[in-house]
Amino acid sequence: MNCEQLAALYEEYALGVLEGEERAELEAHLARAGDKCIAGVAQARWVVAQLAHAAPDAQPPATLRGKILDAVKPSADTARALVPLERPKTSEPRAMFPAWAWLAAAALALITGYTIRQMNNQNDQLAQLRKQMKLATAQNQALQNELDMNRMVAMVMMSPDSKSLKLMPTDKNMPMVRVYLHPHMGAAITADQMPSMPSARTLQLWAVPKTGKPVSLAIFHPDTAGQIELVAPVTMPMNEIAALAVTDEPAGGSPQPTTPIAWMAQVN
Amino acid sequence: MLLAVVQPWPEGKQPTDAVLMERILQRDSGALEALYDRYGRPVYSLVLRIAQHPSSAEEIVQDVFLQLWRSADRFQISRGPLEPWLFTMARNRALDFLRLKREKQRRREDSDSDILPSAVVRPDPEGDIDQSRRAEKIRALMTSLPEAQRRAIELAFFEGMSHSEIAASTGEALGTVKSWIRGGLLRLRESLGEASS
Repeated sequence: MNCEQLAALYEEYALGVLEGEERAELEAHLARAGDKCIAGVAQARWVVAQLAHAAPDAQPPATLRGKILDAVKPSADTARALVPLERPKTSEPRAMFPAWAWLAAAALALITGYTIRQMNNQNDQLAQLRKQMKLATAQNQALQNELDMNRMVAMVMMSPDSKSLKLMPTDKNMPMVRVYLHPHMGAAITADQMPSMPSARTLQLWAVPKTGKPVSLAIFHPDTAGQIELVAPVTMPMNEIAALAVTDEPAGGSPQPTTPIAWMAQVN
Repeated sequence: MLLAVVQPWPEGKQPTDAVLMERILQRDSGALEALYDRYGRPVYSLVLRIAQHPSSAEEIVQDVFLQLWRSADRFQISRGPLEPWLFTMARNRALDFLRLKREKQRRREDSDSDILPSAVVRPDPEGDIDQSRRAEKIRALMTSLPEAQRRAIELAFFEGMSHSEIAASTGEALGTVKSWIRGGLLRLRESLGEASS
């Protein structure tokens, strides 16, 4: 099927009713699709999401609002505490020099600074510009890669065929890791507020089969903000996976887990 | 790290979803409160329709809004509006719950204290007018569909069934189910196109 024929299936895909060849063909197309198709699926998701309004209107319990706000209160309070408080006013220092003297000194400093800038070697400026351009190109590429990864993670997260799993930490001080397991697109792994890790160590995601040894799915590292967001291919059928687990391994990963399980969730 | 001082929005002026999401990134719990006031009711209605269990629906809705708080940085307004993102997340969570419940065969009778709450009509604030108009449009459309076609779409959306599962559940031919759903979705798309124009 071509792009236009597949576009007729977007709403059914978003609704989650497509199966078999039709679904596989559409997903394979979307995995390599351009912005037009991605936008088409987003539009279809919007249309299908509107069916939510067909649910009978119900009033949430009055306590629910408070529960949600109470749950976010600690992080909101922490953020508020980081906002600098207004400094108490101190008495004006006694003027040691008249105002005109300060103005003259400031003007002199400005002129001196301007002269120094003019004296800068032009070659140094060019070298600096080249360096900045190289840096900007690298940043642009990194942003593009991040955008592509975000798009893939969003597709897996939003797919009605994805199974959402919470990998609970064995250390209660650690945050939860979430994995969205999709039969064709792979496993989207997301986490926030992860502690920083030494460069000699890495985290490794394992698929634990019903019989046999764990299979490595991904090696990853939290970023500087403590976030994890990536999509890894899943090399075994979903119905054969009994559990997902994460272990702390030496950089580069291990063929089999060498440390106790740090996060885990049952799959089947 | 210094964070911008969060200012309250002007009296009577409703901030957009994008503004509220920006403020959630600044850890402004007031923005989450505003989004809950805007979407809490339709999200809860949707989740309750799928989960069929008020206390589970409450847990799922709480989880959805906490996820919104924690993952606000992953939402990009350029990818589309917030409402479908939120509804899709809520639907997926509720369907996960439903599938788990089915798998484990743990259907339990609701206790007397856990009966479905009756619908309570509240006055529409200005910001809800578009949402209300769309909701009316969807309900009118669903009512106008033949019973069997409506049922097929409901089984897909609220029960998470595929084409063949709906065919098996209703005893209809697979081709019939496909054409019902395709036709219904086409009418939905056209109807929403009219609503937004």
